[in-house]
Amino acid sequence: MSFSFEHLFRGFEIALTFQNIFWAMVGCFIGTLVGVLPGIGPASGIAILLPLTTVLPPTSAIIMMAAIYYGAMYGGSTTAIVVNIPGEASSVPTAIDGYEMAKQGKAGPALAIAAISSFVAGTLGLVGLTFFAPLLADVAVAFGPPEYFALMFMALTLVISLSGRALLKGVISMALGLTTSLIGQDPLTGAARLTFGFPKLLAGIDFISVIVGLFAISEVMVNVESRITAISQKIGSWMPTWADIRQCTGAMIRSTGIGFFLGLLPGVTPSVTTFVAYDVEKRVSKTPERFGKGAIEGVAAPEGANNATSTAGFVPLFSFGIPTAPSMAVLLGGLMMYGLQPGPMLFKENPDFVWAIIASMYIGNVMLIVLNLPLVGMWARICVIPFYILGPMIVFFSVLGTYSIRFQPFDVWVMLLFGVIGYLMRKFGYPIAPMVLATVISQMMEMSLGQSLLMSQGSVLILFTRPISGVFMALAFISIARGIWLQIRSHAPEVAVEEAD
Amino acid sequence: MKTLRQADIAGGCFLAFLGLFILYAASNIRLGVERALSPRFFPSVLGFLIFACGVGLAVKSWRFRGEDPGIHWPDRQGFVIVVVSLLLIAAYNALMKPLGLPLATFLYAAASIGFLKPERWGVAIVSGLVLGAVSYVVFIRLLDLSFPMGFLFE
Repeated sequence: MSFSFEHLFRGFEIALTFQNIFWAMVGCFIGTLVGVLPGIGPASGIAILLPLTTVLPPTSAIIMMAAIYYGAMYGGSTTAIVVNIPGEASSVPTAIDGYEMAKQGKAGPALAIAAISSFVAGTLGLVGLTFFAPLLADVAVAFGPPEYFALMFMALTLVISLSGRALLKGVISMALGLTTSLIGQDPLTGAARLTFGFPKLLAGIDFISVIVGLFAISEVMVNVESRITAISQKIGSWMPTWADIRQCTGAMIRSTGIGFFLGLLPGVTPSVTTFVAYDVEKRVSKTPERFGKGAIEGVAAPEGANNATSTAGFVPLFSFGIPTAPSMAVLLGGLMMYGLQPGPMLFKENPDFVWAIIASMYIGNVMLIVLNLPLVGMWARICVIPFYILGPMIVFFSVLGTYSIRFQPFDVWVMLLFGVIGYLMRKFGYPIAPMVLATVISQMMEMSLGQSLLMSQGSVLILFTRPISGVFMALAFISIARGIWLQIRSHAPEVAVEEAD
Repeated sequence: MKTLRQADIAGGCFLAFLGLFILYAASNIRLGVERALSPRFFPSVLGFLIFACGVGLAVKSWRFRGEDPGIHWPDRQGFVIVVVSLLLIAAYNALMKPLGLPLATFLYAAASIGFLKPERWGVAIVSGLVLGAVSYVVFIRLLDLSFPMGFLFE
């Protein structure tokens, strides 16, 4: 299944129906709002809304979910520029020069260039997705259970090794995530696992309760304890000059390349690529001394990388069924909830669905620039909603989303428990991303390992003797060895890097 | 636990015990039909991994002699806010079935906003009413989701 314009046009035909345009617009709006509001990120936003979308057809629901994700990348810059509060770790580099520009009375052009850069990178990234995903899906058709297990294993090790200096804590986080998703009945034998005699646990723990707790509830706890304060900036004129745009063109293209190609790798989230893009831009600049003092390229580069990375994440998701970041893991869970198995067969068996999602992303990008440029003042005002109102609103939507998984209070208790766990993980420097990814892919890992062992009459050597799985396992072990080497060399305590969801 | 070192020693010990507990629980899983991959395999491997990493973390932190970063705990008032906020969420969940979604939402939002900003009780009550109405109109009437209605609307 290689790329064909016929499929893409058919995708546009489906994406351009009134219903799908409407849900894409709703997704773009909610996504921008999620990005603008501190205290809620795309992973928790999607997780909260996922159970509520069961009333929609799968294509419309996933179009909306995807729009929330890339929409949040647009909105994330607003708080960083206007009030110097990076809502997510990926917005930190934007805040450096964006807030300086705001203090100089140039908040409008900074916000506008952030939106334009997001649009350019998002669209170029989509062109990459359109051509790369079917190509990789062709390769992935040759994958059997050993290759899938090895790929998922490699993805987890990469996510852990990118958790900063916290290798042990990353492994613990992953192991706790895998253990959590094992609770309940074994899918093949029906044996009760880790239920400790509680009948409620037999049905298992839903990943949505875990993710909403880890991200939304723990974020609310962190924010209520510190009481966020906001300083309003005057937006002024929002139009950048042509000179501004010309000055940023190179930054937009370079950051798209960096964001897209790095974003294809598991564990490389926007919080990593935005820093890389900012650093590269500073190095190639003829006037690097302007960076940190309000350089407009310092806003364009991270915003471009942000969006290119988020689009690139769809390539491994659609072609291999591998999530590269927590938000992608939630989207994967959403696809599985609708009975769709991402991977090479998705392009073969559901071409209308997958091309409609890709086409809707082109449309969504146009919607987002229309939504972001003229309404920049409104978004800036929204981001200063006091947390004493915002916090209970986030809890309201979190409880609603979690309760509607099975309409049982039990799932909300689980959410609350993971809220406390997430709060303590943040305090003690444990990375959250490995836990989230592990929770979602655990069953697939166990299934593919089981099938691999069935193929080899119980020998694990099958994972190392087949060429593709052998390469993935080797890369996984190299990644583990690198992590251990860094641990030995580092004499610092274990602290995870701040991560975006 | 004021420093990361202390927290890691305590956390490592806790995780080591948790790992042992998971190993014990895994050994009690019924095997049933013979399969290439036993239902005990993953829980046992993970139990061992958690135990080993817990011990590793505790030992590494015990031996650590460098600059120890502190943990940013909230002050006493911050702790009270966090605990009461969690209790309010718990009460919201507990009251959902007997009172119904709209009324429980109103009570939660009003109490929560009123607690976080005591001088704005008016805003708290209006916000509670708005969220309660949204929960009823959007989620019960429009989306037709099976949330409990409570005695007011049944």
